[in-house]
Amino acid sequence: MRYLEDLILKLGKLDRRWIFLIIAVVVALPLFFPLGLPIRPTNATQVAYNAIEELPENSKVLVSFEYGPSTKPEIHPMTIAILRHLFRNHQKVYVICLWPDGQFMAEEALNQVAENEFKLKYGEDYVLLGFRPGNEAVVKGVVSNIRKMYTVDARGTLIDEIPMMDGVNKFADFNFLFSASAGYPGTVEWVQYASDPTGVPMSTGTTSIQVNEVMPYVQSGQVKGILAGMPGAAEYEALIGQPGIGTSGMDAQSIAHIVIVLFIVLGNIGFFIERKRAKKY
Amino acid sequence: MSGTEIFGGWVAAFLTLAIFSYLYKDNPFYKIAEHIFVGVSAGYWTSMFFWTQIQPNLFGRLWPKLEASEMSGGLMSVWYGIYNVLGAVLPAVFPAGGIDKGHGMHLIYIIPFLLGIMMLLSISSKLSWFARWGIAYTVGMAAGLRAYGFLNSNVIGQIKGSAVQFVGGLPFFNLLGDSIFNSLIIVVGTISGLIYFYFSKEHTGILGKVGRLGIYFLMISFGASFGFAVMGRISLLIGRFIDLIDYSKAGYHHATIWIMIVMVALLGYSAFKEKQAPPPTTE
Repeated sequence: MRYLEDLILKLGKLDRRWIFLIIAVVVALPLFFPLGLPIRPTNATQVAYNAIEELPENSKVLVSFEYGPSTKPEIHPMTIAILRHLFRNHQKVYVICLWPDGQFMAEEALNQVAENEFKLKYGEDYVLLGFRPGNEAVVKGVVSNIRKMYTVDARGTLIDEIPMMDGVNKFADFNFLFSASAGYPGTVEWVQYASDPTGVPMSTGTTSIQVNEVMPYVQSGQVKGILAGMPGAAEYEALIGQPGIGTSGMDAQSIAHIVIVLFIVLGNIGFFIERKRAKKY
Repeated sequence: MSGTEIFGGWVAAFLTLAIFSYLYKDNPFYKIAEHIFVGVSAGYWTSMFFWTQIQPNLFGRLWPKLEASEMSGGLMSVWYGIYNVLGAVLPAVFPAGGIDKGHGMHLIYIIPFLLGIMMLLSISSKLSWFARWGIAYTVGMAAGLRAYGFLNSNVIGQIKGSAVQFVGGLPFFNLLGDSIFNSLIIVVGTISGLIYFYFSKEHTGILGKVGRLGIYFLMISFGASFGFAVMGRISLLIGRFIDLIDYSKAGYHHATIWIMIVMVALLGYSAFKEKQAPPPTTE
């Protein structure tokens, strides 16, 4: 027993770089040798899926990109899955960006899904309105008069010349909003300045770290479901029956979590052993 | 695969591994990546802000494209005369004949234009006081804008959302979905959490006990936040690893592997030299 206690205490003094190395190995191994662990959709993901599935054909759906390369691994897989679901159900997709680097992400996602996979027509099936600085002021602008905020799209085409912009003048003209958010401005601003005042339903996909902040809106019904980080993306991919990057990362995620929990448990045992010995002497 | 894509892969692999190298210790590779990131981000943001807002929405409203007849005569010819001078210096920003971004003329936009210039004057020690006007406008506007949003969504919406629904056919107990039991937990958690932050009376007796219950709810919330934070960081690591694995393939000429070998060799050599160097003497 004494030997085991000494070993745990010794582990507590391990150079932190060994821990980094162990995490790197346990994350990398399942990427090379997938385990195929099962993915079960949570209630929050299912609610988001149902909200989009129940939209009638040709609904006008606003998708807002509020993330950049730094959070791409978490949010991009879910936007790809959401776009696939929307285009498969023949919805009209309007994309705007509250983050400047969100425009890059939106272009990449639309190229992959709308152009390459579904062969859709720009301006008739989907449009990229692009980025406007101003944070919540942009959201307010979209709510009151989108044509004042966006006179041209991301390609420089006048809004009046884009066929699918006919009859779209303000936020209330949309049937649904999906906010792919990594922080401020993002989901919270859409709830406060757009969805709540107008009653247009919305759903969201956020980074894991943001989930606790957004969850009260989901619980109260102000937001229809939430895709929580990479696992949320994997669950959505499972629901639409098209595995993607989210699914491929889930084995690594699960194994890494087990190892981290193990480290936390060992760290706590070490803390209690040290405290017990300090009391003894 | 095109040469540009392969080069992009090498750059991405180098920058990713350079940032990861900080986990070993601070080193020149990390410094290079850090400085490139700061520089590129600042440049990209400035460019995006200018070309998506200032040029089309500010200058486009001050000097919109008009018919030649509309630009002539009196003040208009002076106004577009200024534009033509600016156009001679910066033709890409001020193209001949006015900016065609779908706007009409709105001279009221001179006010935000001047406020913006005032904010830029903060770089001058003598004129920096001008910046306060721009900042005052921004603070006032943001405070007014946020007050309504918070009141409507975070106060009224949340009170509505946390109310217990005894009617409406909710089951008494359901672990994953909506239920009366779960609603009661939310109500108890909300009230006890609020009482913990009520400092006008000493936390003794019932108030102390309810406040203590609030701490437990807060602890559970912090635990969930920590768990989500770990999950998020691991997701980001997975994302980088997926890209690094891609860049290690033959299509990219094994970029990840070569860069990693060179980096590890150089960092190892540097550590070896550091060990051999005599300790610094103090006199």
